[in-house]
Amino acid sequence: MAMLVPSQILPQTGETRRLLVKWVIAFLVPVLVFTLVWSGEAMLNAALLAIFFPANFSVSTLAAGLFMLLFYGIILGLVGYLVAADSGRQGMIDLWISMFFFTVVPILLIYITANLFVGLAASVVVWVIYYYGRRLVQLFLSSPSLPPLPSLTVLDTEMRATLTTRARLGSFWFALLFSLVWLLADLLFYFTGQYGQASLLFLIWIVLRTVLLPVAGWLLGGVGGQIAVRHALQANGNGGNGDRSDTPVSTRRLRLLSATRAREEARDLVPNDLPLRSTGARNFYIWLLVALLLFYPMIDPFLFGAGTNARLDNYANAGYYVILALGLNIVVGFAGLLDLGYVAFFVIGAYTWAMVGSPQLTVLTGIRINPEIWPWLFWPMLIVAALIAALWGVLLGAPTLRLRGDYLAIVTLGFGEIIPIVVQNLDKYTNGTNGLTGIYSPAFFGVRWNVSTSEPYYYLILVLIAIVLLANVRLRDSRIGRAWVAMREDEIAAASSGINLTRTKLLAFAAGAFFSGIAGAYYAAKLSTVASGNFSFSDSVIYLAMVVLGGLGSIPGVVVGALVVYAVNVLVLPQLDALGNDPTSIIYPIYTHILQVIPNFSFSNIRNLIFGIILVVLMIFRPEGLIPSTRRRRELHRAEFEGAEITSLDTPPGAPGFESEIHVE
Amino acid sequence: MTAEYEQTPQPARQPLLELKQVTKHFGGLAAVQDLDLVVYPQEIVSIIGPNGAGKTTVFNLITGIYQPTSGEILFDGQPLTKLAPHKVVERGISRTFQNIRLFNNMTVLENVLVGEHLSLKASILDAVFRPPWVKQEEEAARRRAIELLSFFGQHLVDRQDEYVINLSYADRRRVEIARALASRPKLLLLDEPTAGMNEAETMEAVHYIRRLRDELHLTILLIEHKLMVTMGISDRIAVLDYGRKIAEGLPDEIRRDERVITAYLGTAATSGRQTWQVTFRRQPEGEASNHHE
Amino acid sequence: MDFLTKTIRLIIEGLVTGSIYSLVALGYTMVYGIIELINFAHGDIFMMGTLVTLLLVTNVFHLSNASAMPLGNLLLMLVVSFLASTVICALLGVLIERVAYRPLRNAPRLAPLISAIGVSLALEDTAKAIIGPSAVTTPPLIPLVNYSWGPILLHNTDIIVLIVAVLLMVGLQWLVTSTRIGRAMRAVAQDREAAALMGVNVDQVIAFTFLVGAGIAGAGGFFFLLWSNDTSFNIGFELGLFAFTAAVLGGIGNLVGAMLGGLAIGLIRSLMALWPETPPFGLPHGGVSWQDAAVFAILILILVFRPTGLLGQQLAEKV
Repeated sequence: MAMLVPSQILPQTGETRRLLVKWVIAFLVPVLVFTLVWSGEAMLNAALLAIFFPANFSVSTLAAGLFMLLFYGIILGLVGYLVAADSGRQGMIDLWISMFFFTVVPILLIYITANLFVGLAASVVVWVIYYYGRRLVQLFLSSPSLPPLPSLTVLDTEMRATLTTRARLGSFWFALLFSLVWLLADLLFYFTGQYGQASLLFLIWIVLRTVLLPVAGWLLGGVGGQIAVRHALQANGNGGNGDRSDTPVSTRRLRLLSATRAREEARDLVPNDLPLRSTGARNFYIWLLVALLLFYPMIDPFLFGAGTNARLDNYANAGYYVILALGLNIVVGFAGLLDLGYVAFFVIGAYTWAMVGSPQLTVLTGIRINPEIWPWLFWPMLIVAALIAALWGVLLGAPTLRLRGDYLAIVTLGFGEIIPIVVQNLDKYTNGTNGLTGIYSPAFFGVRWNVSTSEPYYYLILVLIAIVLLANVRLRDSRIGRAWVAMREDEIAAASSGINLTRTKLLAFAAGAFFSGIAGAYYAAKLSTVASGNFSFSDSVIYLAMVVLGGLGSIPGVVVGALVVYAVNVLVLPQLDALGNDPTSIIYPIYTHILQVIPNFSFSNIRNLIFGIILVVLMIFRPEGLIPSTRRRRELHRAEFEGAEITSLDTPPGAPGFESEIHVE
Repeated sequence: MTAEYEQTPQPARQPLLELKQVTKHFGGLAAVQDLDLVVYPQEIVSIIGPNGAGKTTVFNLITGIYQPTSGEILFDGQPLTKLAPHKVVERGISRTFQNIRLFNNMTVLENVLVGEHLSLKASILDAVFRPPWVKQEEEAARRRAIELLSFFGQHLVDRQDEYVINLSYADRRRVEIARALASRPKLLLLDEPTAGMNEAETMEAVHYIRRLRDELHLTILLIEHKLMVTMGISDRIAVLDYGRKIAEGLPDEIRRDERVITAYLGTAATSGRQTWQVTFRRQPEGEASNHHE
Repeated sequence: MDFLTKTIRLIIEGLVTGSIYSLVALGYTMVYGIIELINFAHGDIFMMGTLVTLLLVTNVFHLSNASAMPLGNLLLMLVVSFLASTVICALLGVLIERVAYRPLRNAPRLAPLISAIGVSLALEDTAKAIIGPSAVTTPPLIPLVNYSWGPILLHNTDIIVLIVAVLLMVGLQWLVTSTRIGRAMRAVAQDREAAALMGVNVDQVIAFTFLVGAGIAGAGGFFFLLWSNDTSFNIGFELGLFAFTAAVLGGIGNLVGAMLGGLAIGLIRSLMALWPETPPFGLPHGGVSWQDAAVFAILILILVFRPTGLLGQQLAEKV
């Protein structure tokens, strides 16, 4: 740390060299595997072909190339950030092993299985084994875990400059080595004559790439370094940049922080013991994720080959589960109101668009709408459906206000049962069990919507999720969100702080139902048909499982929970059958072995059995969910230490409710 | 000042809080019986009494958690009867709880921000779209919350991002008062504000309770067991026993009141006057009606 | 069948299904009373009871015509199936508690609920793997005898189910109120820590509660099959839902409440069949298709006006 700012690139001393080696190698392996073994290079080459040979031109190939540029750019920045942000306390080998398991293993598994979700599921299995193996080894070696936050150092201007330079160096060396290995590989290909006609052009490209990458590394590493510095603590009055400049951190506060909130605060700071998990690194992951989601339909064919449309269809379906989970999270996670009938609002949303956006409208009201204009009605009706669902949320929420906990649960469950029955029995309007068909897809400029192309739906649900996510985050951080959590924690104290319990509860129901209504309208438009038999109590249960599995009250957790539940239920288990019947796959021998013992065996038939077991196991080993909100995590840890009982959902200690319940005598 | 009031009641001085013949029955049990109580602006009034005497029930009646069986409660001349708790807060009464009811899974700052709920105006739509004025409102709310915390010194400001569960008992009591102050009350109800505190913390509590009146011009009604506290800061003291007011007056009068001594120590204890200087609690036969509070 | 006969028959059927709901509801209410968990898997334990009986009767005793069976064999079959379904379900209940709920006793409130849902899904699919996805019918388990007095039409199975249900309920009530283990159960339900301090083995008591609750559900499964002669893999889910509703209706945690709630729901569902096919005043048609909605609507109404169920507060007794 005390070294001078190095102006030269090559000779590196002690600590910096160690850091460079550590991170460059940690990233070199996965990026090379992705580029050379899997599809990275294929995408770039396809994009080049598209540029230079008009015959090959297609927008999506170009987009795939663009994605790769973004990908490498973000990785270069990330490497720079990590080199700058690392406190150097985590061992080199340790990091390499972790990086191997958390990047190379999933890349290879997805590549081998050629299926994103099966590959990920297999990776999860590997991770769990790795995690426990690691714990065992640690126990065996009894190596002490790192003491929290010793590196709470204030950085002055000179040290900042050092960090930035270090970041540039890290990124530069990474880019250089990467491009050299790549060059070597490509030359090998070239001389074995595998490039054929376009060879000269590719030779130029290869040379250009080899020169440009290190330059890009130098520049982007600088950016990464800047981001790292922004997260560093600065001495008071140092000016400096970033959002921390107007609230200089007093040393006293630092000491308090380091004493008690060590682990959580430590994520924010630079230098950091575990920079991969720090807030700064998280921003890079988010950018990477956003780029991936945006470009996914274009790169999917490169990653997994044929069948893009069907895969996108699955993702577009998974999307509305995410929205449902986010909506339910408001009711259950934030406000602590156990809702077992959430499907009711989904039904209402679906039938709102189904009745307005299908010939049923003409049947019922005699109104005829120009079929050119009709699909456009989807957009206003999306809002209307959500509002109608929200209204029902209030109507159904109102009678439950005085109830608490499980009584509330059973009444919401009742509504969840009644609404589909009512919809089914009002066959004059809803066509009963036959359901409504011919529901219009949405319309949008320059987009061809129909039921068989999934891409528009993929983007539509992406936009909807983004909006819902934003709304959720803002609600959580607002006065309303605080009122919800306060009410969940202690109703009496909340009321005594001026919170109108009735209003706040109804708002939670309405907000939850609103998002469910959006999901419903989308569902009807995407499927183009709705039938009352498609909705049942078990759907409500699945939504609840998503929320609880992901982590009650945690927005990222809930998103992950929804995806995991959907993937396990819809994607992984049916896929296992397909794989099992395929003689070339790895699980084929296992599968045939099972078939010998149990005839007629298929994973789809025991889908719920496996899903049920996963639920139980996850709850036992991670009752707070996959990605718990910081609050829940604290609750649990407190419970571990003090053995205190947790009243998480609705009951404040002692007196649970109001008037009628407070009476003791 | 208080002596003056005793001798010549000033007709111009309207009571801030007035309980008229307030009675509360739980089933057959009268928790509070025909209680009259008047609190004038910027007074500190204490309610004392053995455990189970109905003190906290009085607080619950004032704050709308219970509705009185009969009688009337006036605040600023307006009846409080039938108002929901949050409406009572809106009128300008806020309170703390005997067994500290903070939101344990929220930070210190968030707890105080919840207290500011009423003074913030953002609706659910504003929260989602977050126009500039909402941002400013949130900023201002944070600033004010920190200001309120700084009433208890830099100490709590430093700990604003801690979860309250990590705070000491005394600090939690302070945060609870800060949360109560956040709703800009005229009348503050403190339920045993020094319970669980040591000597030094108690002294400090006495100090800041007085400052609440002197600096923030609040009216304070408090329940307290430690006589050191009540005698030290109260302008007047009301004594409850079995839900009835058995005495009311200046601290010195109460100290000498035979009925009070009897209520606390039984008949044989006229000589025990000094022993209840520190604390007095009747033994747990009264617990049953207390643990729901 | 004239209207009166039909009505009386519906009332009897309502009482019989209601008493089966009651038997299942008892398990819900006991478990809820003692560990505050909605044991979603309980309905599926009931289903397992019907399944065990079904498998024994068809695969072991090869029943085709009960009246043609020698009386000894018939009795043996009934006794063995009854005991087997009761015991297997009781053990299953204990096993589920041990594996899926006990590790979660100090976890957040919803964790055991999700775990229970997981168990429920697993049980259903296990059953589906065994008997397939569609409903399975058995021949009558005992020779059917009809009794008819004027408008009253009774089957011998009705009488058996009613009598057994009453016996089981009385027995359970006695167990809870008058025995040592019952006292321990009530103590644990009141305050687990205090009971533990008083020397009650809490784990054992909770396991015993599951044993009894699941055993009764298993017995219920046997008698249900005896009465209705059909079952399917998802019968437990639906019936469990009504039974749980019954438990809440009566005031959850309250045994008598669960019994009354079960009977009430059985009657409501059954009597909905009286709804005329073409009702006057523009009311919706098709009574039977509304019966589930009616159950929940009544439940909601009752809870709105009595937030703790019918017998929620009057009886402090809670197990």
